[in-house]
Order: sequence, then structure tokens, then C-alpha cells
Amino acid sequence: MNGRAVRLGLGLITLALMLAALYMVFVYVPTEADQGIVQRIFYFHVPCAWVAFASFALVAIAGIFYLWLGQQVWDDLGYAAAETGMVFCTLVLVTGSIWAKPIWGAWWTWDSRLTTTLILWLLYGGYLMLRAMAGDSEQGARFGAVVGIVAAIDVPIVIVSVRLWRTIHPAVLVTRQGGHGLEDPRMVATLLVSLAAFTALFIWILCLRFVTLRMHTRLGALARSLALAEAAAQD
Amino acid sequence: MTAALIEARALGKSFGPTPVLRDVNLSVEAGRGAAVIGANGAGKSTLIRLLAGLSAPSLGGALLFGEPARSLRPALRRRIGLLSHQSFVYPNLTARENLEFYATLYGVADARAQAAEWLERVALGAVADARVRAYSRGMEQRLAIARAMLARPDVLMLDEPFAALDADGAALAAALVREAMSQGCAVLASAHSAGALEELGFAALTLSRGRLVHAEPSATRQSVARAPLARQVS
Amino acid sequence: MVTTPFVAVLRKDLLLEVRGGQSTVALGALSLLVLVVLVFAFNPGGGEQGAEAAAGALWVALVFSGMLGATRAISAENENGCIRALLMSPLDRAALYAAKLAAAFIFMAVAEAASIILMVLFFNLEFDARVMRLVPAVLLGALGFAALATLLAGISSRLRGGDLILPLLAVPMFVPALIAGVKASASALGGAPMGEFALWLKVLIAFDVMFVAAGYLLFEYVAGEE
Repeated sequence: MNGRAVRLGLGLITLALMLAALYMVFVYVPTEADQGIVQRIFYFHVPCAWVAFASFALVAIAGIFYLWLGQQVWDDLGYAAAETGMVFCTLVLVTGSIWAKPIWGAWWTWDSRLTTTLILWLLYGGYLMLRAMAGDSEQGARFGAVVGIVAAIDVPIVIVSVRLWRTIHPAVLVTRQGGHGLEDPRMVATLLVSLAAFTALFIWILCLRFVTLRMHTRLGALARSLALAEAAAQD
Repeated sequence: MTAALIEARALGKSFGPTPVLRDVNLSVEAGRGAAVIGANGAGKSTLIRLLAGLSAPSLGGALLFGEPARSLRPALRRRIGLLSHQSFVYPNLTARENLEFYATLYGVADARAQAAEWLERVALGAVADARVRAYSRGMEQRLAIARAMLARPDVLMLDEPFAALDADGAALAAALVREAMSQGCAVLASAHSAGALEELGFAALTLSRGRLVHAEPSATRQSVARAPLARQVS
Repeated sequence: MVTTPFVAVLRKDLLLEVRGGQSTVALGALSLLVLVVLVFAFNPGGGEQGAEAAAGALWVALVFSGMLGATRAISAENENGCIRALLMSPLDRAALYAAKLAAAFIFMAVAEAASIILMVLFFNLEFDARVMRLVPAVLLGALGFAALATLLAGISSRLRGGDLILPLLAVPMFVPALIAGVKASASALGGAPMGEFALWLKVLIAFDVMFVAAGYLLFEYVAGEE
């Protein structure tokens, strides 16, 4: 299977889904009664959150495989997932902030979901800083895997504790209640299409990043072989 | 012919693209000694770290007791002694406390008595209860040697064992190594020059540009070359 | 006298601490300073607001001193490369982790005892049953942080500039226990009913179980060299 063809195919699928999603979000879906036009951000905000959390799980799973099998490909996958996930996590926080301002008059609310996403963002950031600090080494890959796994274990407890924190002592600002409260089936459909579009976008970007890291790994191996051959030639 | 206790098979190590060790082959059997000679930065310490299992090879294998050094069972780790550039002793503990601690860790029977005995053997008996922080480099080196040998290992790896030792200290160390070899210990040592180790009957191997070569035979080395105590496996 | 390797390592760490004597004193001093700063920062009154401020201050002090303690515990092994000697010995990696964790926990617990006393003094509280209820929450929090920090310090001590990475990773990971600990402490000090307090303790216990287990399983991957 030609890798380039696959990536091109993924790109086209993403484009198609994105166009469909954009149409549905801006044209098709009705404006929500309470919040007005701003509410449309919801259809970007939620899929980004889903992607950010899923990506984090991927980092942890890749980490487990790396520690177990010791193959560099798993680390490349994990690192690519962390970088890509970080982008979407940032988008969740930014869209959340844009949404909060007109609705609640504040740039940030400490509601349970946004708070959890903030913690996730900090964990991602820590992972990326660690990898940057450790450089291009087997040690960096190993440390990254450990941190990715521990952070993923942490996330469920974060979710639970933050939710308890918010329900027992409600926030100053009124928070969004439980589910999405989507009454109109058109809203549900739009959300699902948007979800699909962002998932496709994530997978596509992840593939591109992953392939780049694989090339980097192979280049490193080639450089090593070259250096060995040069040294042998001088013997 | 007994099986090799310390073995390197086509061992290679690169840091990034830079090769430090290339296609290193050696094997040391019980009761034998191999000396790796090289200049500073030649890769002697890297080789010992690989064989001790502290670092992972880029290519080839480092074996102890026939098993990969990197993932050795605790039962086999008990039978290894390492002397490194770092002394591996806690500066804020006394020499006695250090040895008793390591003896306990290695499951040495009657740790206290054994620690005391080894302190005497390395001539530190008088200062045994002083903190290591106050020791001179030579004293610390002698303590480090005692630490490496007190569990009576079957494999000894010594990175520049005579460094920082005066003539008396060096003689003491040499005697201990000789005794260990006579008891069946396989010894790998590194040094800048071959002299002292060859007198102990070590085979000299030179590490140059990452490769290990047999030293050129000289008058004193001829007798060794005739009956090699360690072989270079090709 | 027969001692297991775990006990031997722990005893060695405690002995080093008694000899060096710096870590627990430094941790206590740091806690004191943090509490002073927070009193100036929040200028707390009495009543429930005072209780919440006191609880928060206590846990901030715990986190800061915990990070210092973990870094110290690991760096003691890096002097003269002793960590390598420990890894080469027949010592089980998990036992090494357990011993390091136990040592860090003991240091933190001692520092926390001092913090609690200082907190009562600075925030104008009473030494009564409510303060006693704090103890399990603080101990559980210290255990959780010690488990987390011991694992992460194994990483940070290996990297140049690693002392920045430890707080960067430890603080977000500790958030659930921090929330639970502060809430439990505030409800204890405010004299709230047991139900809420028990709930937060359960969160702390879950956190501790997960992170001690994770550290136990993952420490060997942190310990090796390149």
C-alpha cells in the first residue's frame, strides 16, 4: 500500500468531512435559543476535546508497547500523538474561552470540564518539555513512555475529583449542566458530523507527523551506519 | 575449556551517529584476566559499562555468564563486582557502614564480620569509623575495591583499578586481584598502560579507534602470548 | 541480624538523613516560609474562610516541601554514582522504589507535623479534635506525593536542567490529591459533618493506590541508563 496514497486519501476524506461540517455548523443547524450564534462554537469545542483525550490515551498505549517491545516505532507514534493532541487540547481551551466570554462575561470559568482539560494541557506540556530536554535518545523515549502512562492513569482521577469539587462547592459562575442538552435532531447530526471531521483531521495530521518522525529515526540509523562505514574504511 | 564468564560479541556502541566502539570481541574465562588498554576517551569505560549491563549496546551483545548483561537475573547480579571511576560509596557514612550496607545488599553471610575483614585487607582498619568524606582519594579507591570484592564475585570488572593508588596501595590491589583469579574469578580491567596488569598475567588488548586489537608481543609479553590466558575471539 | 534489602536501603537513607540532618530541617524551614508568605498573601480572618485558607496553605506547603524532599532523596544517590551500584546489585528494582518512597514519605511526614503546628499558630486555630482529623488526610497526601515524586525524580535527576521538570510534571499530576486534600482539610477544620470528609479521603486513598502501584511497576524503566 503506497504510503503517499494513503496520506493523500486521508487528506481528501478530511477535506470532504470538514466542508460538510462547516456547512452544517454555519448554515444547516438552527441557532440555539438561549445562547444565540455563539453556541455554534460548541460544535468545534466538543470534538476537539474528544480528540485531545483520545490522543492522550494513544500516547499511553504507545508508551506501554514501547516499554514492552522496545521498538522505536512505538515511541515515534506516541510522540506524534502527544504533539498532535497538544494542538487540539489548546484549541479546546481557546474555544472554551471564546465561548465563555459572551455567555458568562468572563474569559475563564472553572467548570469541571474546562478545568480537567487545563490539567490535561499541563500534562501534555510537561511531556513535551521532558522530550525536548531529554533530546533524541533512548532515555528520552523511555522517560516519555513512563510519563505518558502515569499521566493517563492520572486523568480519570482528575476527572472524578474535579467533578466532585464542582458539585459539592458550585462555581461562582453558573456552569453548564450535565449533558449537551441537544433537543433538535439537527443539532445531534451536526455534532456527529463535526466529530467525524475532527477525528479525520486528527488522524491525518497524526499520520503526517508520525511519518516525519519515522523518517527522522531512519535518518539517524543511516547516519550511524555511515559513520561506522567511514571508520571501517579508515582502518 | 570452560565457558566464558565475560563475553563481548561484535559489540558496538554509538552515541548519536558517532561510533565509540566497533565490532569488539573478547571473552574471559574463569580464573583468567583481560586488560583493555587505551588512551583517555578511547572507550574503555564505555566498554566496561556495556559489559556490566549499565548501558545498552547499539550492535552486538554483551554477555555475562552467557546471558545478556543488560537484563541479568538478581541471582547472577550477586556474582558481579564493579569498580568504576565513581567510587560508589556514600560520603556521609563511615567506611564500615558502607561495607556493611553493601554486604547486606549482596546477601553476604555475617555481613558485619566480613566488612571488618575486608577493611583490614585494604588497610583501612584504623580509619574504618571515620566518614568517607574525610578520606583521601587513595583511601576512597581502596574502599571502592573492597566494596567491589567483598561479596567474592565470580566476575570482576575494574575500570582503572590502580588510579589514585600509591605503590603500597597498588601492591595491595594487585594481591587481591591475584587472589580472586586464583579462586576462579574472571577479571576484566582497563588501564592506560599494560605494565602492572601484565605482571598479574593479564592478556593485553588495545582499544584504538573503537576496535580491540591484540597488543604487539614484546619480550615480557612473549610468554603470555605463548599461553594466552584470555583470547580475543575473532 | 537478618535484614531484607528493602530495610537495609531504608535504614541507610534514614541514617544518612540523621548524619546529614539537612533534609528534614530544610523541608521544615521551607514549610514555615511558605506558610508565612501565604498568611501575608491572604490575610485570613476567622471562621470558615479562615479554615479554608489554613487548609490551602497547609497543602501548598506540602507540595513545595515534597518536591524538595524528593529531589534530595534521589540526589543523595547520585553523589559518587551510588545509584549505579544499587542497580548493579541483586536489589530488586521495586524494592529500591519502595525504600526510596518510604524514606521520602517519612521526611515529608515529619515536615508536615511541623507544618500543622505552624498552621494552627499562624491561622489562629485551636489544637483540638478538628486538627486531629487533619492527620489522616495529610498522611495520605504525603504518601501520594512521595510515590509520584520518587518516580518523577528518578527521571528529573538524570536530565540536565531536570529540576525544572519535576514540578512541571508533579504538580498537574498531583491535582486530584491536592483538591481532595484541601477539601478534606477544610471540612475537618470547619467542623463539617463526616460524610464529606470521608468522601475526600476515599479519593485520596484511590490516588495513593494508583500511584504507588504505578511507581512500583514503572520504576525499573526509569532507573536504567542509555
